[in-house]
Amino acid sequence: MKPFAYTAPSSVDAVVEALRVAQPGTKILAGGTTLYDLMKLGVEAPSAVIDVHRLPELTGISVTDSELVLGAGVRMADVSDHPVIRPSYTALAESIWRAASQQLRNMATLGGNLLQRTRCGYFRDADMPCNKRNPGSGCAAMEGVDRPHALLGASSLCSATYAGDFAIALLAFDAVVDVVGPRGERSIPLAELHVEPGEDPRREHVLDVDELIVRIRVPLTEAGRGSTYLKIRDRESYAFALASAAVGLVIDGAGIVTESRIALGGVATRPWRAVEAEQSLLGQPLTAAAARRAGEIAFAAARPGRTNEFRIELGIRTVADAVRTAGERAVR
Amino acid sequence: MSTNDVPATTVDVTCTVNGEPVQLRLDPRESLLDVLRERLALTGTKKGCDQGHCGACTVHLDGRRVVSCLTPAVQVDGLQVHTIESVTGPDGELHPLQQAFVDNDALQCGYCTPGQIMSGLACIAEGHTADDDEIREYLSGNVCRCGAYVGIVAAVRQAAQR
Amino acid sequence: MRVDAYDKVTGKALYGADRVLPGMAFAALALAKIGRGRVSGVDTSAALAVPGVLLVETKFDLASPGFLMGGGFGFQSLQPMTDDHIAYRGQPIAIVVAETPVAATEAAEAITAEYEEEPFALHLDSEGATTLVQEEAIPLPFLADIKVGDADAVIDSCAVRIEETFEHPPQHAVPMELNGGVVWWQDDRLIVHEGTQNANAVRFGLAQQLGIDAELIEVHSPYVGGGFGQKNSLLVHIGPLAVVSRRLGRPVKLVLARTQTFHNGSFRPATKHRIRLGADATGRILAAVHEVDQQTSRHDLFIAGHTEVTSRLYGFSAFRGRQRLVQTDVQTPGYMRAPFESPSMFAFEQAVDELAHTVGRDPVQLRLDNDTETDPVTGLPFSSRHVGDCLRRGAELFGWSGRNPEPGSMRAEDGSLVGWGVAIGNYPGSIVAANATLTASADGRVTVAVDGHEMGQGIRSTVALLVARDLGIPVADVTVQVGDTTVGTQHLTAGSWGTATALPAVHSGLQELRKHLNVADTGDVDVASAVADAGHAVQVSVGSLGPGQTADALAQTNTGHLAISGPVFPGFVTFSWIAHFVEVHVEPTTCRIRVPRVVSVADCGRVASPVTAASQVRGGVIWGIGAALREESMVDDRVGGFLNTTLEEYPVMVNADVHRIDVDFIDKPDYQFNPVGVKGLGEVSMVGAAAAVANAVHHATGRRHHRLPIRIEHVL
Repeated sequence: MKPFAYTAPSSVDAVVEALRVAQPGTKILAGGTTLYDLMKLGVEAPSAVIDVHRLPELTGISVTDSELVLGAGVRMADVSDHPVIRPSYTALAESIWRAASQQLRNMATLGGNLLQRTRCGYFRDADMPCNKRNPGSGCAAMEGVDRPHALLGASSLCSATYAGDFAIALLAFDAVVDVVGPRGERSIPLAELHVEPGEDPRREHVLDVDELIVRIRVPLTEAGRGSTYLKIRDRESYAFALASAAVGLVIDGAGIVTESRIALGGVATRPWRAVEAEQSLLGQPLTAAAARRAGEIAFAAARPGRTNEFRIELGIRTVADAVRTAGERAVR
Repeated sequence: MSTNDVPATTVDVTCTVNGEPVQLRLDPRESLLDVLRERLALTGTKKGCDQGHCGACTVHLDGRRVVSCLTPAVQVDGLQVHTIESVTGPDGELHPLQQAFVDNDALQCGYCTPGQIMSGLACIAEGHTADDDEIREYLSGNVCRCGAYVGIVAAVRQAAQR
Repeated sequence: MRVDAYDKVTGKALYGADRVLPGMAFAALALAKIGRGRVSGVDTSAALAVPGVLLVETKFDLASPGFLMGGGFGFQSLQPMTDDHIAYRGQPIAIVVAETPVAATEAAEAITAEYEEEPFALHLDSEGATTLVQEEAIPLPFLADIKVGDADAVIDSCAVRIEETFEHPPQHAVPMELNGGVVWWQDDRLIVHEGTQNANAVRFGLAQQLGIDAELIEVHSPYVGGGFGQKNSLLVHIGPLAVVSRRLGRPVKLVLARTQTFHNGSFRPATKHRIRLGADATGRILAAVHEVDQQTSRHDLFIAGHTEVTSRLYGFSAFRGRQRLVQTDVQTPGYMRAPFESPSMFAFEQAVDELAHTVGRDPVQLRLDNDTETDPVTGLPFSSRHVGDCLRRGAELFGWSGRNPEPGSMRAEDGSLVGWGVAIGNYPGSIVAANATLTASADGRVTVAVDGHEMGQGIRSTVALLVARDLGIPVADVTVQVGDTTVGTQHLTAGSWGTATALPAVHSGLQELRKHLNVADTGDVDVASAVADAGHAVQVSVGSLGPGQTADALAQTNTGHLAISGPVFPGFVTFSWIAHFVEVHVEPTTCRIRVPRVVSVADCGRVASPVTAASQVRGGVIWGIGAALREESMVDDRVGGFLNTTLEEYPVMVNADVHRIDVDFIDKPDYQFNPVGVKGLGEVSMVGAAAAVANAVHHATGRRHHRLPIRIEHVL
């Protein structure tokens, strides 16, 4: 690891000021589970680090009439056990419960987790070609071991999978992130936060280098109760997804689906909303066939690599199972 | 924080480790794990991967379990750090969870054991011991290559019931 | 309970890298980034410019330690950084020493090199891989292909023939303790703290590498944080570490990064198994053929020992084994837990299961019908073979009679396909010449220094229990010293011979001690008063030999070499045996494979320590499940070496993967094997477990899997 300058400003204002005057290559450090890890691997080499991990302004979970407000500095573990979130936004709680280990959830912040980097093994090995890490060097995964790579949203330059779970559930619930920077505060719908690799795989999100996520807002929805996050992995716990799905449903007294939310994880280069799949469920009773069809629609545009085609069928079944579980919870 | 808002190549940190006040001048690159082991000679905390994948380095920060390998040591400023060395009583008597590890033969080579115990203590304190499946899930961040998992779950269950 | 449990649960047990010494410096390695070739012009300037760096070295004047299986001491004969040859990606090209770990790491990362790349081969069937017939390449009697009768002719004439090919991937042991340690010099004396299963080889290997007298080297390895064969010999980092420590006049600590351990220690080589079985219509196996291709390195021939176990599994009238070695561009592979036996059994016991399915026999009954009391290879009797009892008791504990033989016929409440599978396993019984020194003190305590290493199997507890029971004293009054060359030779502890070797040595030491204490040959002893009568502490040293071994064996082990006897002894043959019963559930839609319960019954002779023995078996079963469903070391043909070199990408079993594992023992002493009646357990516990999982998956799904691991994509 290369040396870096370290500061830990004591307020958000001080962070913003530090970001304003920051030298090139400055990075924001929160829980450390991504940035510090990648620094150890030589994948990240910031010249300076601004530590925000204990800013009191970034903590706190509150519930208003219209939304759930999560401080960006809240630790992941505090969400999965939260007495309101668990019943009202089950998929949110489950997405965190199935992410990483409790130790890492005690460290990682929500804001940092949204910007978690890919687990592509070629990206994480600084000796390998990687367009994301070293533009123009090529993508080692395309002709390599691409079992965990993205089926949706890849470009000819990069198929690295977005690895997070929490953002998938947030996306399903139309969450918004509030960010601050030297140009003031702005709000970004989660759906617009992450970008596909396209021609520039380095760019993973729309935040400027001098912007800081301060909070996440999740609109209240009845679909939160009828929701689930299903994650299929190579082991029962403590592994990244081969496929995952966040599903939230509202079903009326006549058994008709009136609200439908589906987002996919572990299969795309960014958190992936399956809008057409959602729509396919609306206005009709929830059946096994409808759940399966939603999965098929969600993966209609999937493009497999050399060794990961099975994850299309796995993804379809994951969506179908999650839809069925959400449906059972919605009518409970 | 004791640090200013001015970049520095070393950072002064004050914390407590196992109840004792500690002052450190740190290179910000240093992990809490390396500081505990190499500077404070608290070698009960083990390095199994240095990448957050195994849990052997689990310690408590203000009572919460974390992996010390991915904790930059500068981040413990003002915090209480507890390691396996703090779990045993003053006269060497075992904590009930340590005793439960002995009783249930919840170890083989012993290398992951300090991390398992620190994780198990937190698991109990968090209340994640409703049944064996919950214990398994909440201890899955601690790899035991010898495969002493059946004993580990039994030990945590036993200590949680006390 | 374990006598060292207190130290382990309190963090007081000191492993290799747990020494923190005044003036200690920290080392780090830089590794080659090509699959094979030559390194020219290692640029160390940036590394030397890193503040706190004390030295950077790229070239060492070190002799080869020799390959462990070629009469040497090293996990491979190749000592990196002695010339410009790069045999595999991940081979060290430089070592850095600095004042702090961060400075050492930064400097190691700053090292760059120019390479001349050469083509490399990584697979058994890669272009450029060289295949050798083992018995021709290494013409030693014990490596000759096993041939009994004309197996092929018998099979060709059989009513039922099974012919299947199975592939087993390379795997890594990944013990939790990273390779590494602390070395320093006291004048001309070299002191090494390193987690090793073979302090003896570290000592004599370093003596050979450094050209110094082994008397000047002491190696301490009182606790090994898991070995599983990966720490069975001198590793390549220790010689260079000793040199830089001497040059600096300071203690130096080196802990390899986890990713580095995947290339700087041995691994389980890839194998391919062709199995042919010939049987009558009832499933009586008349002959078997087992042909194996096993990966090795270019620079060493890691021997294949697969057919040693499969040829003894059933009462064949004819058997033909053939073992070939395939040279590839990797570090030398080695003895990862049940090194040959687990892959062999995965192949052979699936073929046997297929036979049962083909002839419509119950797989347990078919195995019982093929049992034998006589070794098919030598015609000698087995000293003990209770695998039939293992099968019968296991079937009863498991509830096997409730099995519907039709694949895909059983369902769980959640709709999962349920499969019940069985497999047996065996592991050769070996004994090594060993030394034991017992000291009775005035306070009534007995200290035992015995050859062996504690790596989780509980050797201290087993020895302490033996001594306490023999003398009728509390276990707490027995101190056991292992893994320390200042108190004993410390030969290799592996091959499941640790207990069967240490206990007879201690047993013989106890008899000698009784003589010197002037007490009866049996019965409780008042050690304190016997010592008081003697007027001084009483110490005895004994050497013990395996059946048929001569005193030469002791001389061999005392100079750092292996002196193994077995499994064929004068007049008898010894193996440990086990039967595994496995239930798998295959989820109805997403097809995750789960293993909710396992029953394993082992025949390991007398159970020396029931608590640690059960734990050993559970661990072995977990390794078997991991091998069946998860573990595979992957390669990328473009870059060489291994690819998934982290505990994230090499998915070992976590707690949530493990459910109920019931263990039982036949517990019948084998006094022909040794006077204590114990046989090995640590490795046989794994043998057949992966096969039982695969057989259960077949029963659940009707699909036979010929390659491990069996993952979601294979059952979806």
